[in-house]
Amino acid sequence: MANGIKDKVAILGMGCSRFGERWDVGQEELMAEAYLEALGHAGIAPDQIGAAWYSSHYDDIGAGKAGTPMAQALRLPAIGVTRVENFCAGGTEAFRGAVYAVASGAVDIALAVGVEKLKDTGFAGLPPASRGTFAPMYLPTHTNPGNFAQLARAYGTRHNISAGDLKRAMGHTSMKSHANAVKNKNAHLRKAITVEQAVNAPLVADPLGLFDCCPVSDGAACAIVTTPEIARSLGKTPVLVKAIQLVASNGWEVQSSGWNGSYVHTARIAARRAYAEAGIADPRAQLSFTELHDCFSITELVTLEDIGLADEGTAWKRMLDGAFDADGALPSQVDGGLKCFGHPVGASGLRMLYECWLQLTGQAGERQLANPSLALTHNLGGAPAQNVCSITIVGAA
Amino acid sequence: MPKCGWQSAFPRAVGPDVRRVDAGEAPSPGRTDGHLMTGITALAIHLPRLRLQRAAMAAAMGWLCPRGDTRGVRTLAYWDEDPITMAVAAARTCLAQAERNGVPEARTAVRALTFATTTPVFAEPQQAALVHAALRLPEATRAQDVGGTMRCGLLALHAALESAEPALLTAADMPLNTPGGTAEMRYSDGGVSALVGGGVGGGPDLLTYRGGASLSAPFIERYRAPDRSLPTDWEERWVREEGFLDLVPRAIAEALGKAQLSADEIDHFVLPCVIPGAAKAVAQAAGLSRAELAQPLDLECGDTGAAHALVMLARAMEDMRPGERVLVAQFGQGATALVLEASDTITGFPAAASAALADGVAEANYLKLPIFRGLMPWERGLRGRFPVNEALTTAYRNSEALLGFVGGRSPETGQVQFPPSRLAVSEAGFFAETQQPWPLADLGGTVATATADRLAFSRSPPNCYGLIDIPGGARLMMDFTDPDAERLSPGDAVRFVFRIKDLDERTGFRRYFWKAVAAPASPAAA
Repeated sequence: MANGIKDKVAILGMGCSRFGERWDVGQEELMAEAYLEALGHAGIAPDQIGAAWYSSHYDDIGAGKAGTPMAQALRLPAIGVTRVENFCAGGTEAFRGAVYAVASGAVDIALAVGVEKLKDTGFAGLPPASRGTFAPMYLPTHTNPGNFAQLARAYGTRHNISAGDLKRAMGHTSMKSHANAVKNKNAHLRKAITVEQAVNAPLVADPLGLFDCCPVSDGAACAIVTTPEIARSLGKTPVLVKAIQLVASNGWEVQSSGWNGSYVHTARIAARRAYAEAGIADPRAQLSFTELHDCFSITELVTLEDIGLADEGTAWKRMLDGAFDADGALPSQVDGGLKCFGHPVGASGLRMLYECWLQLTGQAGERQLANPSLALTHNLGGAPAQNVCSITIVGAA
Repeated sequence: MPKCGWQSAFPRAVGPDVRRVDAGEAPSPGRTDGHLMTGITALAIHLPRLRLQRAAMAAAMGWLCPRGDTRGVRTLAYWDEDPITMAVAAARTCLAQAERNGVPEARTAVRALTFATTTPVFAEPQQAALVHAALRLPEATRAQDVGGTMRCGLLALHAALESAEPALLTAADMPLNTPGGTAEMRYSDGGVSALVGGGVGGGPDLLTYRGGASLSAPFIERYRAPDRSLPTDWEERWVREEGFLDLVPRAIAEALGKAQLSADEIDHFVLPCVIPGAAKAVAQAAGLSRAELAQPLDLECGDTGAAHALVMLARAMEDMRPGERVLVAQFGQGATALVLEASDTITGFPAAASAALADGVAEANYLKLPIFRGLMPWERGLRGRFPVNEALTTAYRNSEALLGFVGGRSPETGQVQFPPSRLAVSEAGFFAETQQPWPLADLGGTVATATADRLAFSRSPPNCYGLIDIPGGARLMMDFTDPDAERLSPGDAVRFVFRIKDLDERTGFRRYFWKAVAAPASPAAA
């Protein structure tokens, strides 16, 4: 009988490149930037790595398919490298592969790297994703802002929130992340904004304006994982994996009218399972902070409810009250989040874990929280109606 | 499981309306007093909602090409409308009208489909095949394209009336003319559809066919090579004097002879002609002394080319009384004249043409015409450069779903879904290989979520789309279209229209799917 991943695997070291419009480097250099930092923290030699997982979403503007681009960029010691792609949950998917490999006993030390080089397209925003041959014949030409704008309208309608109130709550969400990122030297956007600036910004997809959307960034992040015993033998204070859950939509939301569009179905399931796996009975009391997939301001608000950190229909009010600010009851996006740290698609899940690892090991510098013990990361890949959702919980030993 | 969609993706196809129904036996043409008792059973038009103001056209181009008469508007097909979509729209209304008026199996009874246009979307393939698929007509319904002259629609009607078999005619046109020219102002975009012979054997034809004639002549007043988008027109006075005033009266005389009627027994006269005064002159030359001249609809619509004789007829029929006779004529490399007589059922003919003429959205931006029609380049950004993956194999395999808008329904739960699949979407259990085909096009739906996307590429931004709930528990993310798409909000009722889904200017390829538009507040008379 399966008993979950809790406390079976430890994070030995992590690394993260500077995110942003990195005109100066390509995907290979970004991976190296994160990998070299992680190696240094882990204190191991490359030939101690037994297997590797590599996450990259776009292969046409990145380094291509399969595991070889990473094996070559990092000159890995002739080991298995598995490329994974699971929309914006790809970074967490790579982490899951590495964690499961260690937990199985197949390897002692495993590597997970996520990377995306997005600023080689010539235009702003994410490139259109390939969707096979059939779906483009009937689905609209849609963008992610358009998909999440529908979530915002449905959330507002469902909970009878005025358009003005929702815009202010979304504005506060972004304002808070901008303030946090000022203290993060690796963040893409390091400039404070006001709620008024966010509310009055040009519309991208009604009702989402420019400041409701995260930027498109280049970047890479990396984790090296092992068993808690090996970590301790190497003199490390390990950060332990408490839960990893991943849920993919099976079409119920997008093909049947049972879902009302105001929440994310997969997130609710993933959260429930993750809390059970981690043995968390009261997440609001037990979690120290969260790193949520704030691709859009509305996503953060809705996710706070979906994962049980706010009652349904109230996250917008609690956000306005400052509950999720860095000095609030349950900080979210202490590092700036997708909104300001940036969103290199294949790397984002690992970037969130990087912040958790920094905070839990007391290395977060001027944005260090007081005595954090348990942190949650959340990724949402795809659209609210059809997505891959992942939740990871890590904690101090 | 069969690999080919046409052979059905549904092993036990027992849905409510399956396309693979063979056309029925041909009804025996009834004859009374030596005349075929056939006629027009239903007639419906489709006009694009945009109405381009001629004054705006003159304001944009008048400095270069000064024009005198700038009164009124002309219809302008939206970027995702073309002759195929306009033909489908008119035919859907036409079939619905027939079914309401006592021809319950109109769709499955049709034995021949003709698509008429002078502005074909493709030189190949056959376009009637797409119209046929969108209408879910029986596989054995014969389909053909006709064109070459704006008279092609009326020529096809003549042939259908002479054949005395249930036939569906669709005619739609969007004549392109040189920017700044008079023809650009006079011609317009629109479609029409007529069901012929639905009442063979004593059924409820609106108009009974009394006789007709089609004369052929090598009179070439306008030409356009296959690789050119714009025509060249010859001098208007010659067209009037040697063309209209000579050929049309002779066709009328021939038709009256076939109908065994004299000119003064005609009550209404329909003749599209963009040359002012020419129709009246033809009526006089032909001796139609009593006939009321049908409205040319030039101020509120413009001349819709291959569709226009029947567009004018549809409007004229609103004012016809039982027993009145109408002579419908059109010119183009000869002339066609058809004599029809109103039956008692004409009194129930809906005023849908008037409603469509009135249901316009004023457009004052002339540039939408050359942009929508691809006549000038524009900055579409790098997002607009992605090629369309034709995937013709995928398109054919799924053609019933894509063109006919047919979903699937699980008999165990009643759950409807699109696209259909071997494993059903369900919260209530696991159901494999049980779905039945379930047509969705006429069901309409309700907006569940909506957005107006300013980032996505669109030929008429913002790109509007959202989730639509369809009766039976189905849901689909769909494009919203038409000029007021941005107004659609959660809870609004929508109907579905067949439109261009993707266009690839590099290859000329285009494909079609269904989109959502606001449903009328009350069902329109059709």
